[in-house]
Amino acid sequence: MIQAISGELGMIERLQRSEFSGYVHSVFDKTINVMCLENGELYTLACHRVDNAPNTLVIDVNSFGELGINMNDSVQVAHNRINIGSKLVIAMDHAKLWESIVPSYPTDVELLKKNVAKMNRHMDMHGTRGGMKKPLPSHRMFEEAVSSMLLERSEMLLTALLRHEMSTAFDMAVRLVGLGPGLTPSGDDFLVGLFTIFNMPNSPCSEWTDFSARVVQEAQGLTNEISYMAMKKASLGRVRESILGLLHALIAGSQEELLLALDRVLNIGSSSGTDIATGLVRGLEINIHRGGKICLPKLSSNKARILIPYR
Amino acid sequence: MSTKVVIKQSTYFDSVSLMSLSTKANQIEGVEQAVVAMGTEMNKEVLRNVGLITPELEEAKTSDLMIVVKAATDELCESAFVAIEELFKKKSAPAGSSEIKYATIDSAAKSIPEANLAVISVNGAYAAREARKALENDLHVMLFSDNVSIEDEIALKQFAHEKGLLLMGPDCGTAILGNVALCFGNAVRKGSIGIVGASGTGSQEVSVRIHDFGGGITQLIGTGGRDLSEQVGGIMMLDGMKALDEDDATKVIVLISKPPATSVEKKVLAQIKQCKKPVVVYFIGGTEESVVAAGGHFAKTSKEAALKAVVLAGADESTINKRALNIPLVEEVRAKLTPEQKYIRGLFCGGTLCDEAMYIAMEKFDNVYSNIQKNADYQLKDLHVSQEHTFLDLGDDDFTNGKPHPMIDPSTRIVRFLQEAKDPSVGVIVMDFILGFGSHEDPVGVMLPAIIEAKQWAEKEGRHLEILGYVLGTDLDNPKMEDQVNKLMDAGVTIASSSTNAGLLSREFVVKGA
Repeated sequence: MIQAISGELGMIERLQRSEFSGYVHSVFDKTINVMCLENGELYTLACHRVDNAPNTLVIDVNSFGELGINMNDSVQVAHNRINIGSKLVIAMDHAKLWESIVPSYPTDVELLKKNVAKMNRHMDMHGTRGGMKKPLPSHRMFEEAVSSMLLERSEMLLTALLRHEMSTAFDMAVRLVGLGPGLTPSGDDFLVGLFTIFNMPNSPCSEWTDFSARVVQEAQGLTNEISYMAMKKASLGRVRESILGLLHALIAGSQEELLLALDRVLNIGSSSGTDIATGLVRGLEINIHRGGKICLPKLSSNKARILIPYR
Repeated sequence: MSTKVVIKQSTYFDSVSLMSLSTKANQIEGVEQAVVAMGTEMNKEVLRNVGLITPELEEAKTSDLMIVVKAATDELCESAFVAIEELFKKKSAPAGSSEIKYATIDSAAKSIPEANLAVISVNGAYAAREARKALENDLHVMLFSDNVSIEDEIALKQFAHEKGLLLMGPDCGTAILGNVALCFGNAVRKGSIGIVGASGTGSQEVSVRIHDFGGGITQLIGTGGRDLSEQVGGIMMLDGMKALDEDDATKVIVLISKPPATSVEKKVLAQIKQCKKPVVVYFIGGTEESVVAAGGHFAKTSKEAALKAVVLAGADESTINKRALNIPLVEEVRAKLTPEQKYIRGLFCGGTLCDEAMYIAMEKFDNVYSNIQKNADYQLKDLHVSQEHTFLDLGDDDFTNGKPHPMIDPSTRIVRFLQEAKDPSVGVIVMDFILGFGSHEDPVGVMLPAIIEAKQWAEKEGRHLEILGYVLGTDLDNPKMEDQVNKLMDAGVTIASSSTNAGLLSREFVVKGA
């Protein structure tokens, strides 16, 4: 039997209530995804090398590659145990709870401005090319065309948002969905970053959370289920731990903390980390641009609650 | 022109695998375009725009994986697809599915009683414990893990010494035992020269030069970088020398290290006197007198170490192609550089290769900066900004924190390379490309787009950008050394034939303007 190490609050509560049966949707080395038949959402079982994330349970295995788990294996939950066929039993007794809470947009943005500039410089140097960061010239027409379209559409989206041309913005956002290489297309990853920023309490852009919800509604069927789930959760302000860590570092971190947190995000997937980080940084730039032009109620400090012991 | 399409239904690979598959598919011989992407509407729109869409692709669903290959002929397309399928099979196969895995060293030793060596690569916190278990099971140890305390290293080496076993490491990346390369190593001929090396790429370089000069290797024993420090006392180098001295197949011994602590050097030199066989000593930046006084053969460079060893092993020196420096080439390059282009920038994956080139430059220049400079005055103030002549060991902890070593992923060097290429004061950029077991499967291919782009920038600005490349490998290595060299030459890169020559050429190219 394998022990669960930590898991997202909502997922653990659902598992606790045993409102969960499903099948294995996809198998990777570090994660497996399970389709829940009760609510049609994907849930992830992740090895201990992966950070906490929405709909995710981190368990004490190094890899799923050798456990013999296959697509469509049945998944059942009973008595605080997850059974994947007869291949794996996961005990949740000692799993710590984790909840994704996006930090508030700061009232004093001077440090944020400096950190955004540092983040841009670091991404210029260390970001992965091929998605939102233009690839080096090559004969690969597909990649070059994808990159041009990503840049053009993301810029048009941001410009339209700033001009309140919401119909154009919506069109551009939808035309980013499913665009790009990788399991989670680069356009989706960019939107994950952007939607996260819209969900920062006190954000000058928080009025656009409805916009992101509409885009996600339209996105169903335009990208694969794994990528769709990440976008859907981001539109609700629920993102993985490393992204939250980066936001905290951007708001209040030292240069060292910022670069450490940024590197963690840049290491996600192939170009996914760079694409998400680009969405975050563009979103913050819009916030900085709009800051002061609107008046929002101040909310209390809103730090992520992390790792509450669970019995 | 022929286009072939395959759609893999409901197939999910992680992004890293997909990107890697796509990159490799585009590098297959004869392939003009290869696309590996999820079947989303937007990706299909891009395929329409670039003229690669087919009716079959139009039917792909968001959970399907689209593979498109365009090549000159149907046959090329077909063979490219066979190669792509092979790549997919490799990615799909569970890791080590054909191997038996043991949970502990004890169970492995019990199950394979004929085993006499354990290679240990675990988190540093557990490495000493595992190494001790292996020694207790009478196994020699190659300890690849780093972050092992010096106290543990000393204790383990003393324990190994008492048991008559080798403890190679910690942080030992290179060994060739019984003609099998472990961790990072090259395919070299079997022969009569034994090497004990405290530096990984230095040992690789000497082994490939020996091969190039017609010689061969009996054993290459790594010691770990701290072995010749005052505290450790050279336990492993002394035991390695002794083992090779007692080995009938070994006729000549080569020692490779950065200069040892004085007390350790004395011990090593004393043992050279005891050796029945000739010993060539290449202590990078070291001096000749003491080595000669001890009866050893001093080598100033890695190339000289290899040459002396091969000759001492019986080769006729007059028949060896010594790869003399190409003097007309030096003049030719000097003539292309403007007076402002006076600095060398060395971007190395191999630490010892960086060291060697740096020491060669220091013979003529004072202003040589590096992240591995011993002289604190010449250590780089900001690792991200080069000063005058700068030599970077990109495999050092300064650059690898949380990232793969550049020998495994040389793409980590691209950004710095482009940065240096833009600097109008740069006369030459020198880089190594390391082939062999454990290294990246196409180190040149990874850098080529950046090299081509940099050359184009320089041309637009009306200046010559001299790029000097050294491919460390042998004709037996994979990928093929010749192919790697040809790719560089086609991109306008000047090729050095050894680490030593790379250092000498880069220095001589900029002498005039310095």
